[in-house]
Amino acid sequence: MGGEGWLFLFAVLMAAVLLFTMVFFIIMFSDLECDYINPIDLCNKLNQFVLPEMIAHAFLTLCFLLSGQFIAFLLNAPLVGYNVNKIMAKNHMYDATEIFRTLSGHKKESFIKLGFYLVSFFYYLYRMILALISESD
Amino acid sequence: MSSEPLNLPQGWEARWDAQSSAYIYIDQSTGQAQWELPTQPSYPTSHHSTSSSAPAPAPAPAPVSRPGRRHYPTAQIQQMYAGGGYDQPPPVQPLAPGYGDQTHVAPQFFTPGMADVQQAQIPQGQFQQPAYGQQPAYPQEKGVDQMTNQFQNMQMGYRAGATYGDQKQLHSIQTVNLIGMQPDVRGLDSPPPAALLAPNAAVTQSPHIQPDPSYQRCTLAAMPTTQSLLNKSKLPLALVLAPYRSVREVDDDMPVPVVEDSVIARCRRCRAYINPFVTFIEGGNRWKCCMCGLSNEVPQLFDWDQRENKPADRWGRKELNHAVVEYIAPTEYMVRPPQPPVYAFVIDVSQSAVQSGMVATAARTILENLDNLPNADKRTKIAIIAVSTSLHFMSLPPGSTEASMLVVSDLTDVFLPKPVDLLVNLTESRPAIETLLGRLSDMFQEPQVGNALGSALQAAHQLIGKIGGKIIALTSCLPSLGEGALKARDDPKLLGTSKESSLLNAASSWYKTFAIECSKQQVAVDMFLFSASYTDVATLSCLPRYTAGQTYLYPGFNASRSEDAIKFATEFGRVLSMPIGLEAVIRVRATRGIRLAAFHGNFFIRSTDLLALPVVPMDQNYVIELQLEDDVKATTVVIQTAVLHTTCFGERRIRVITQAMPTTDSIAEMYGSADQIAIASYLVSKSVEKSMTSSLDDARNLIINKLSDMLTVFKNQVTSSAGASAQLAVPDNLKLLPLLMCGLVKHVGLREGVSIPPDLRSYAQALLTTLPCQSLIPYIHPIFYSLHNMSPDAGTVGPDGHMVLPPALNLTSERLERHGLFFIEDGQNMFLWVGHEAVPRLIQDVFDLPSYAELTGGKYTLPVLDNPFNQRVNNIVAKTRELRRGVYRQHLYVVKSDAEPALRSWALSCLIEDRMDKMGSYAQFLTQVKNKVSRV
Ligand SMILES: [Zn+2]
Repeated sequence: MGGEGWLFLFAVLMAAVLLFTMVFFIIMFSDLECDYINPIDLCNKLNQFVLPEMIAHAFLTLCFLLSGQFIAFLLNAPLVGYNVNKIMAKNHMYDATEIFRTLSGHKKESFIKLGFYLVSFFYYLYRMILALISESD
Repeated sequence: MSSEPLNLPQGWEARWDAQSSAYIYIDQSTGQAQWELPTQPSYPTSHHSTSSSAPAPAPAPAPVSRPGRRHYPTAQIQQMYAGGGYDQPPPVQPLAPGYGDQTHVAPQFFTPGMADVQQAQIPQGQFQQPAYGQQPAYPQEKGVDQMTNQFQNMQMGYRAGATYGDQKQLHSIQTVNLIGMQPDVRGLDSPPPAALLAPNAAVTQSPHIQPDPSYQRCTLAAMPTTQSLLNKSKLPLALVLAPYRSVREVDDDMPVPVVEDSVIARCRRCRAYINPFVTFIEGGNRWKCCMCGLSNEVPQLFDWDQRENKPADRWGRKELNHAVVEYIAPTEYMVRPPQPPVYAFVIDVSQSAVQSGMVATAARTILENLDNLPNADKRTKIAIIAVSTSLHFMSLPPGSTEASMLVVSDLTDVFLPKPVDLLVNLTESRPAIETLLGRLSDMFQEPQVGNALGSALQAAHQLIGKIGGKIIALTSCLPSLGEGALKARDDPKLLGTSKESSLLNAASSWYKTFAIECSKQQVAVDMFLFSASYTDVATLSCLPRYTAGQTYLYPGFNASRSEDAIKFATEFGRVLSMPIGLEAVIRVRATRGIRLAAFHGNFFIRSTDLLALPVVPMDQNYVIELQLEDDVKATTVVIQTAVLHTTCFGERRIRVITQAMPTTDSIAEMYGSADQIAIASYLVSKSVEKSMTSSLDDARNLIINKLSDMLTVFKNQVTSSAGASAQLAVPDNLKLLPLLMCGLVKHVGLREGVSIPPDLRSYAQALLTTLPCQSLIPYIHPIFYSLHNMSPDAGTVGPDGHMVLPPALNLTSERLERHGLFFIEDGQNMFLWVGHEAVPRLIQDVFDLPSYAELTGGKYTLPVLDNPFNQRVNNIVAKTRELRRGVYRQHLYVVKSDAEPALRSWALSCLIEDRMDKMGSYAQFLTQVKNKVSRV
């Protein structure tokens, strides 16, 4: 298996991990709505994953850039930009005092990210298979 | 159906009875019904004796005597629901015991299980004297299905009423045109539209089944049935509540009735407390929850007087007669034994604090109020930490008269220097506390610049965190050292731009994180801020906001000015002596379909419907937005607020406030029942939130848009006069809302301008979101009196025992006269405006000065002189100070009409109907709203 195959295999795994992170976020938000968890614990828990998620995604995007996968890079660049913007504005962390006011926004964001990671997952899978096929030819 | 007979005497109502094809006439004040056309008007009376003196109405042809058909005249059904037995003829007064003269009534006690026996003894259809007439009867035996049947009947009646408009009570809508009219500001005191409940909605007929609006009010007194109707109407749906309201004699407040026998009947499913709007079923052995409809068992001791050890009268129970009650909670409601009140004082002793006299005044005020601190059971604990560049812990050993000081200079890793004697029992360590407070200011005479407030707060939190309680922080400068250090960020270039809102938000997340820590450990923080320069109120007020405390600001405080010292000492003293509730949670429950959507106020939101308040202060206001997630099917909705708290005398208590209102599917009825004060209160909270999350511009636009949306719907849907019009139509009950909104747009918390210090803005916003309605309304729409020409009785005690105040004037400088003396008050400050042509006699009488030229403007203490006019002015000032709930004592400023431009324009900024800098006049505001309305 060549470099491109390995890259997309890695991307598929990353996308799967990110996908699960988002599912976890969404489950936690609905737990909050059902009063299974209090806002302080929720924010403490989720905030541990916020930066790792962003870094993982940025790392993947960087890999695409360095390996010259420009389509994949352009697909991911907007989200990286959005994340960086959030960090600059210092509102990337979940705030327990505001969480109920902003909950619907957070949920919406998580769902959109979930959709995005899902699409990327299948795209990476497709590219991986393509790469494998072209190698075997 | 024949046409409705018109011209009934006052107080009578006609109802069509389909079964007998005739009208039944109902005396609305007593609920009495008769078949004959009434001739005498009826007036509401609460005396039971009227029933004997009233002309005996002809008995109805008892429909019960036709057992084959279960049809009853509507009136009789009404009466049955209202309190009369269904086996009773109509002429029975549905009165609950305890509210009328019942000496001639044999008391009827209810014993569970006995109901059927008792009731069975009474032959059906027989004319029984009061026996059951005084109590709502229970349906029993076949009563249950009869009930269903009757209920259907009622539904029919209701529908007929809706169709023909003669049965269901509706609010009458009077349209008022605003353009070109001067608003009648006296209408601000009028009560909100009443909730027109069906006469059978409550199980008792007590006059107290609805809470006083100062406890809880809703923007609408008629609940829409669907969210789409609510959206269509553009009216906000929100609850405005101050559940821990003070009880003041001046306001003729009734003390909160306490249910002492710890029998707490709650719904098993939704946990709602029993209230006047439940229904008793199965012979009174069970009750049906008014929120979720679940049938619950009535507790065994519900009808038992535990003190006297005998059966008690269920209908006398306080929770069935009062909208506001307090339960003494049994141990199940306690996580731990009730904690004592704990106060930790964190006092800034840096140079500026000592020099301004803040430390000395604070120490003296604490000393003077040691007896007033809630300490009924001698358990109150106290701790004092002085802070400057290091932390000074005070060791106050019990029994000793000597206090010693322990200094900790490690600000990053705060530790307690001593395990004991830092947090001490007030009574045991009283001598040491007194010694310390007596010389506190003298101990810190060598100048220390810098303030490690954050570290001191952490230390105080460590000290009292195990018990919980209140940290009272007094600081005179920006925290500059240790944890939570802040920098001055009040860049004047930001003012007036869209970035200004960043100055209204916290600069550092430390304060939010610390607030959460405090809230977890049941610690509340009150902030007293004194500063000559920027103190970052926006950041520091985060602590009170999320821990249910309060922020107090004394800009430019200087204790050598007696007015400053008195104001601070009075307010601080009131905070110290306030009977607080500890370790509290507030939960709001409502009829199925209603959801709590958002919360505004000082607390931490712990879950979707639970607010955590480490300490409940008195007279703090909360706004809760409501949504309808499902269609509301019930005809009456109930909203119940429960405040579980520990009193400062060591009792766990639950204060329950129950409010009921009918549902409606008409937009007109929603407009007719809208409460302008509650809507104003909601828009205040909403716009302040907007100014922080978005920008001040957006906040002002939000106000104007919401207002014009409402008036557009009113114009198109209710008055049905679409198209452009030269008029701005509003319902009579909302006619002052535009004026209040004009005041809000121009309020210092939201006003457009480049010269408002961010501290003042933040403080004003903190007040806007926490003041109870009674103080909030004057804060956005000040009161304005003309004193020089007031009527002779103004300022004296009137025949009703209350002080007579001059009539409130419209807030426009047109009313100012060059020779006059005027009074403006907004709940936080008052101004005595003196015209420059005021006659020397007036100046002499009021100020004891020879002429206007001798008078200097600024903070002022009026002299008390031996002349009637001076005394009347002093009386008006004193009465106004007493008028508002809360701890605030207004500064009195004397404003000369031709000097001190800053003070003068401040006073003039209270006159909100005028133009002010860039902000237009009230008339322009109306035109702006009207143009938006016409455009649609
Ligand atoms: Zn229930």
